Formats: sequence, C-alpha cells, structure tokens
Amino acid sequence: MTSSTTTPPPKAAAPQSGSTKGRSPRSPQERSNERFAWSLVLPAVVVVALFFLFPVGYAGWLSLTDAQQLRPDATSFVGVENYGTLLTDPQFLAALGRTAYFTAITVVVGVGIALGLAILLTQEFRGRTVARVLLLVPWAVPPVVNGIMWKYIFDPSWGVANAILRGLGIIDENIAWLGTGELALNAIILAEVWKLLPFVTLILIAAMQSIPKSRYKAAAIDGAHAWSRFRHITLPGIRYALLFGLITQTMWSIKVFDSIYVLTQGGPARGTTTLNYFGYLQTFSYLDVGYGAAAAFLVMLLVFGLTMLYVRVLRRTEKVEA
Amino acid sequence: MATANSRRSRTFGQLRWPAATLHRILLLLAMGYLLAPFCWMVLTAVLPAEDLSRPNPRVDLGAISLSSFGELLTDPSFLKPMGNSAIIALATMVLCVALGAPAAYALSRFRIRGRDTVLLGLLATQMVPVIALAVPLFMLMRGLGLLDTHFGLIATYTAFILPIVIWMLVGFFDEVPGSLERAARIDGCNRIQAMTRIVLPLASSGIAAAAIFAFITAWSDFFLALVLTSDAASTLPVRVAQFQSLFALDYRAAATAGVITTLPVLLLALVFQRWIIRGLTEGAVKG
Repeated sequence: MTSSTTTPPPKAAAPQSGSTKGRSPRSPQERSNERFAWSLVLPAVVVVALFFLFPVGYAGWLSLTDAQQLRPDATSFVGVENYGTLLTDPQFLAALGRTAYFTAITVVVGVGIALGLAILLTQEFRGRTVARVLLLVPWAVPPVVNGIMWKYIFDPSWGVANAILRGLGIIDENIAWLGTGELALNAIILAEVWKLLPFVTLILIAAMQSIPKSRYKAAAIDGAHAWSRFRHITLPGIRYALLFGLITQTMWSIKVFDSIYVLTQGGPARGTTTLNYFGYLQTFSYLDVGYGAAAAFLVMLLVFGLTMLYVRVLRRTEKVEA
Repeated sequence: MATANSRRSRTFGQLRWPAATLHRILLLLAMGYLLAPFCWMVLTAVLPAEDLSRPNPRVDLGAISLSSFGELLTDPSFLKPMGNSAIIALATMVLCVALGAPAAYALSRFRIRGRDTVLLGLLATQMVPVIALAVPLFMLMRGLGLLDTHFGLIATYTAFILPIVIWMLVGFFDEVPGSLERAARIDGCNRIQAMTRIVLPLASSGIAAAAIFAFITAWSDFFLALVLTSDAASTLPVRVAQFQSLFALDYRAAATAGVITTLPVLLLALVFQRWIIRGLTEGAVKG
C-alpha cells in the first residue's frame, strides 16, 4: 500500500544549473537561479526567525539573568550563575533523574511494542488495511485529551483500570494510581506510550515494506528460520527507521508536558516533575524566569546531545557494515 | 507436504496454523489495547454518569444518549473556543502551505548556497522545548499587541510547524522528476510557471498531507494557547484542560469535550489516512 513511499527518492538534480559540481565560478544563470530560489525561501525563513529563532535567542539571554516576573525592570546579568545553581539544586537533579527514568522506559517499551505491532501488521491477513487505519486512533487523540482520558481511567474510586484488575482478581483494594509519585510517573508513561505507538509503528511498517521480498525468498530457500530471517534481513533493513523512532520518542519523552499538566500537575510531592515541568514551574509558579529559562535550555542541550549520539551510533554501524 | 514448496508458501502467503492462531490472538490483544481507551472515553460521554461512577461500572447500551453533546454544543463558553480553534488551525494550515511550498520547492530544486544550513536549522527547531520559549513569546506578543489574538497564535503556530512542513514537502518535491520542468521550460514556461503548473500539481497529495499535518498540529496544541491567550482567542484544548482543574471532575462533560476535540482530527486521519501515513513516514525512511 505504501511501498511507493518507501523507496528512497532520487537526489534532486538541479534542473537548470548543469552538472558543475564546484561552487565557483558561478555563471550569471546560476546567480539568477540563486536569487530566485532565495526569494522563495526567504518568507518562510523570516517567519521562523521572527517567531521562533528570536524567542530562542531571547530565552538564552534570559537564562543568563536573574529575571523575575514580579520585578521585570530590575533584571541584571548574572552570567552562567543560573546554570551553576541548577547543577547543585537537589530538586533539579531529582527532576533530571525522573526524566531519565521516564524517557528510558517510554522509549524502550514504546519502541519494543511498536516493533511487535509492526511485525503483526506486516503479515498477510484479512482486514489488514482496516487494522492499519485503526492504528491511527491513538495518534489522532490530542495530548490534552489523552491526559483527561487517562485521568478517569486511573480514577482511584471508579476508574476502569481498578475495575478491570478487580474483575480479574489481580487486586482486592483499589489502587490510587496517581496517588504516589512513583505510581503516577508510571501511569503517565503508560498514557504516553499509548499515544506514541502509532507513529513509530507506521515508520517501522513503511521500512519493513521497503525490504525487497526476494531477500526473504532467498533466505527461505536456504532454510533460514523466522528468527534468523528477522535478525539478518528485517533488522538491518529497518535500522534507520528504528533509529528515527528512537530519536523522535526520546525528544518527545523529554519534552512531555500536556499529560503531566492534566494528570498530576507535577505531583504528588513533585513525583512527576520532570525536567520540562520543572522549567515550567520555575517560570510560571515561582515566577523565576531566568532560572526557568536556564533549566529549559539544559533540556534543549540534552535533546541535542542525545540526537548527536544516536546519529554517531548510526554512522558507526554503517561503517562496520560497509 | 513438507517440501520446499510448502516452506516457501509459509513465508509469503497467509500464515499457517499455529502461527496464524497466535497471530490472531496477538492482533486482537493489540487492537484492544489501541482502541479500548478511546472507546471508553466515548462510552463515558454517552452513558449516564451514575452508571459509570460506581465501583463496578455498568455498560448498558440501551442507556446511550447524546444529551451531553447537546449541552456542550449549545454552551457559549464551549462554542467560542471551538470556533477559535477552527479559525486558528485553518489559517495556520493555509499559511504553512503558502510559505512552505515555495520554500520547499526551492530547497528541493536548487543547490543554493546555505541550503544545508537552512535544512539543518529547520530540523534543529524540533529540539527546542516549547517551555523555553513561553516567556520570550509572551513578551514578543505583548510588544506587538498580539496577546490573546487569533493572529498572534496563528503566527506562532506557523513558525513552529513550518519547519516540519518544509521537510515533508522537500521529500515530496524530490520525487517529482526534474526532467518534467526542463521540458516545460523548453516549451516556454518561465520558472514560476514551471513550479506552479508542473511541480505543485504533481506533488498535490504530498501538499495535502503536509496541510493536514499542519492543521492537526495547530488544532491539538495546548501549551502555546495556554500561555499566549486568556479569553478572546482561547482554544479548545485549553477549554478541555479546564475540566480537570475543577474540584469535582465532571467526567461525562470532560469526556464529551474530549471526544468533540478529537473528532475532527480522527475524521481527517481516517479519510486521508494514505496521505497522512505517507507524510508521517516520508522523513523517516528517506534519511
């Protein structure tokens, strides 16, 4: 169904610039093309610069000040002091630990289930198209709605989670899912994994379908078992998609906000205050703008660093196999 | 039976017993897991609250009523954010395509100086946590007099969603062969005509996918709307979140609001599923 999308598109050839690979010397034709191209790109770049890059720069500057929302005119430059304070702030370090746990579990469990789902949905069976369309349901639920939805599933008195577990005889007493920090953090992981599954699964399905069937055919003739076909054909074939799934899940998990806001507001006893939520609380509850901006900037660096790490791992595996 | 032939058919045809049975069981479990939470929200919205607000919920399909939908859809405090959401998401979608399609076309077709920098820069925007930008955006919007206005939110969403839209569209434009434009140029089209008459129509399903993606992202956003609006331009997700801040959470009304907020996205996703799946997976498989 989507096989046409999975073939890597040919690298775009510049239609008018001929085959000169070098950057110079440029012909008048090339310079005219360049002007034309930039006139098309510029409006988009301006909008992104004004409403995205400018705020990023501004946030960077704020993180170097002691800005407070209550006294906006008395802001002074403090250098990297906020960052220094953060790295010794036990609350920040606790939030860092929670983010690490939250992200690791969400990514491992989420990508694991997605891989299983993708394998299930790439088999041939009746109703496969319908099943793949229904896969989009969790993806379509807006994050805030997802939070509300799980809030009443996890309701301590009449939530359906308790009702099902009681019905199955697994528990006798109702569990207050959002009542303790540890339990609530895991409950949010459950809600997030559910919401993120379709995206990763779809990517894996697309990648699996792009693997030529002839490879499986050859392996089957050689008598390769299902596991060894998976290990030696499927896994290498979806390596890039798997990595992409890991990166997007990691980014999403570190930046998660909506479901925490709706489900627990960072509580109980700060048990679900992840890094991102920590930055939010500093800025909007304690009105400590400079400190909150520094925390948010560290989150950005963390995401950036992890992405680079993933990309390096990918490059290395490519080299080994080449 | 146990010939190479049957072994091959096991690999490529339908699964055989017992693998087929195992597959069916796992599939049912998986689909149940994927659909049950949402179905439960729908049931919460249509069943009497007293049937569900008890230790063992009673699901009586005869008691289904859409009265809670009627209540919300006649409530001005719900209709206003709903209208705001529709206006803001539609305008964001139009702007994203109007700005994104030409930019993506240029990035796909011309090896201009700074091309890679622009593409990487756009990708890097995805790493920035929105929380970091809340205060600067608030101050920027206050300075421009755009706080709590439709346009303020539209401009912000456009800036946030445009990078992904451009990335998606570059992938779609790359698939349209450059030879078609060269032929059009030889036939006397100018550069703009070659773009608008040849490439844009051929990439129309990709543009539609990107447009729907932009609409859904703008429609679903909560945080920016929370920070940048208060009343006049407040959106549906902010209104939905207000249900949980009440002390006694009215689950039926909350679930109804949740279903109403999800419905447009779900309908778009189901109707345009091919394009959306293509749009979502495009960047991943391409590299």
